[in-house]
Amino acid sequence: MLLFRSEETVNQWCAAHNIPRRPLVNLEQLWQLAVHWYANRLTVESRRPGPDEMVFIFKSLDLTGPFWDPKSDQWR
Amino acid sequence: MPELDLDVQVKLAIYEITAETGGVPTSSQVSRKINIEQNEVLAAFRRLHAKRLLLPKPSDPHRIRMAPPFSGVPTRFPVEANGKHYYANCVWDAYGIAAALHCDAISRASDGHTGEPLTLEVKNGEPILKSYVAHFAVPAAHWWDDLIFT
Repeated sequence: MLLFRSEETVNQWCAAHNIPRRPLVNLEQLWQLAVHWYANRLTVESRRPGPDEMVFIFKSLDLTGPFWDPKSDQWR
Repeated sequence: MPELDLDVQVKLAIYEITAETGGVPTSSQVSRKINIEQNEVLAAFRRLHAKRLLLPKPSDPHRIRMAPPFSGVPTRFPVEANGKHYYANCVWDAYGIAAALHCDAISRASDGHTGEPLTLEVKNGEPILKSYVAHFAVPAAHWWDDLIFT
């Protein structure tokens, strides 16, 4: 997952590497993802979110559709 | 307090050493910290990998390539926090180090295409928002297929 100044440089990178353009995430969404994933990572209880939790977290950040579904088989 | 499960002890030792030193530890460092045999640490590394909590270095199981959000090797996402220097695995993890350590942090990163310096900063527990974007090239269902590429 890479950082870009703008959508324009994302498109240039995708074209240069022949990689399909996929969803973009803004910094507010990215920060919220980081908090959900890692805020308790240094504690006894920490664990990675399960598939259903992931979908719930993504949906709360308006990240929806098969791309954000860890159980999707669309790309198999 | 009941004794912690071995995998939890190993996981906590990994993160405590990383947070304190900036470097992701080897199996021998973890072994010394919690006073268990190195082969037990290696077995815990394998189980934690199966739980998707760390990625051992493919060429050397004694070393950790990723203990998310921390990277065991230099990356294009260096992070300064608490007066220490860390490396994050990706742009998500650059914010993740601030979230995990619960502190302010700054990552002097760069544009994935042009290489232009781009700074991510967390101050007083909040990100300094800019119009930058992160591109997720791999669908969520495949993030762990090739985590280094992801």
